[in-house]
Amino acid sequence: MAGDPYAALGVSKSASDAEIKKAYRKIAKTDHPDLNPDPAAGERFKAASAAYDLLKDPEQRRRFDAGEIDDQGHERPQQRYYRQHAEAAGNPYAQDYGFGGDPDLSDVFGDLFGQRGGGRGGPGQGGFRGFGGGPGAGQREADFTMRGQDHRFQLEVDFLTAAKGGKTRITMPDGSDLEVSIPKGAHEGQTIRLKGKGGPGYGKGGAGDAYLTLSVGQHPDFVREGDDIFTTLPISIDEAVLGGKVAAPTIDGPVNLTIPKGATTGQKLRLRGRGVNGGDQQVELKVVMPPQVDDDLAAFMENWRKTHAYDARAKRKG
Amino acid sequence: MSRTYTEAEAIAAIDDLDGPRLIAFVRARIVQPVQAEGQQLYREADLARLQLLCDLSDTYELHEDALTMVMSLVDQLSTMRGDMRALMQAVATEPDEVRTRIHTVVRRLR
Repeated sequence: MAGDPYAALGVSKSASDAEIKKAYRKIAKTDHPDLNPDPAAGERFKAASAAYDLLKDPEQRRRFDAGEIDDQGHERPQQRYYRQHAEAAGNPYAQDYGFGGDPDLSDVFGDLFGQRGGGRGGPGQGGFRGFGGGPGAGQREADFTMRGQDHRFQLEVDFLTAAKGGKTRITMPDGSDLEVSIPKGAHEGQTIRLKGKGGPGYGKGGAGDAYLTLSVGQHPDFVREGDDIFTTLPISIDEAVLGGKVAAPTIDGPVNLTIPKGATTGQKLRLRGRGVNGGDQQVELKVVMPPQVDDDLAAFMENWRKTHAYDARAKRKG
Repeated sequence: MSRTYTEAEAIAAIDDLDGPRLIAFVRARIVQPVQAEGQQLYREADLARLQLLCDLSDTYELHEDALTMVMSLVDQLSTMRGDMRALMQAVATEPDEVRTRIHTVVRRLR
């Protein structure tokens, strides 16, 4: 920025902080380069935001007015503009703007620019969202032979289906329903190929393939790392002291787990082969107090403490 | 591969951005970072988008619903501009007679 920051904002030297802010916002509204494609507007906005950066801080403004610093004040990091990304090919936020549904033009349009995700799915939709490129169906030149395009999709799979394997139904962009087998132990980012389910071929060319990239959902009780499953199991004080068998949830239903005498919070027990594909399940115990400490328990503890007190923090340093 | 930023790096890179604001944008799905190894990574396009979101929230005092709508329009228009530019470049390399034919049809329609 060269020149007078007050002029860049169109305010006088005696303008109040509020007036400066208002002047900046007014310029930002009309001249923001992401909203106004005119290069002159971009220059005005650049000058105004540099000026505002300098003048919004009372101390900087005082030093500028006193001539202690120049109008460059301090070096501002390179301003980022969304437009250069938004207009570029491959922008992840690219949106269809209406030709996709046009019966006469969608073929031509899809042929030129491919299909885009029109609008983004709402939060938490068990969703199936296409972002592949694909030419429209009705290519007319019959003498032209080309294999159909591959389409890529993202498919959300719930935790247990991914762990145990199973089937899920998806709706293809052309409206057809399809059953997809999820292999046992499917992991985040894994790709499933559906042969011939992509775009139609031209002429004698065969159809392309569809590729589904899996994203695996979360489970309230289980966490998965590779083929191992991790879970936290609450146990009562008496179970912790006396040990015993309790039912522990696994991905294939509850199994009996033997709690050793004197178990403690954080202690880890392994259930061999109860994970995914022969992996293990690790159970971390968590001792839970009864909802209410009654008189009996309190009286017993009072008594017990007299002769059996122990230091639970003995291993701690400092 | 282009460079990505962690949540902390994104907040550090953009003056007007703080943690709660970033979380709100992500929760409203106005910004959709990539998920990788249990953390969220922001691309250059996400950073530029976050900068614009901060500018829009500050200058127009827009809330999430309005921001979602504005960004949808911005995305549509930007995508269209990019497409239009590519199309114009393609038309520009065609011989004069093709350009004249296109010109005639466009004039008739608009």
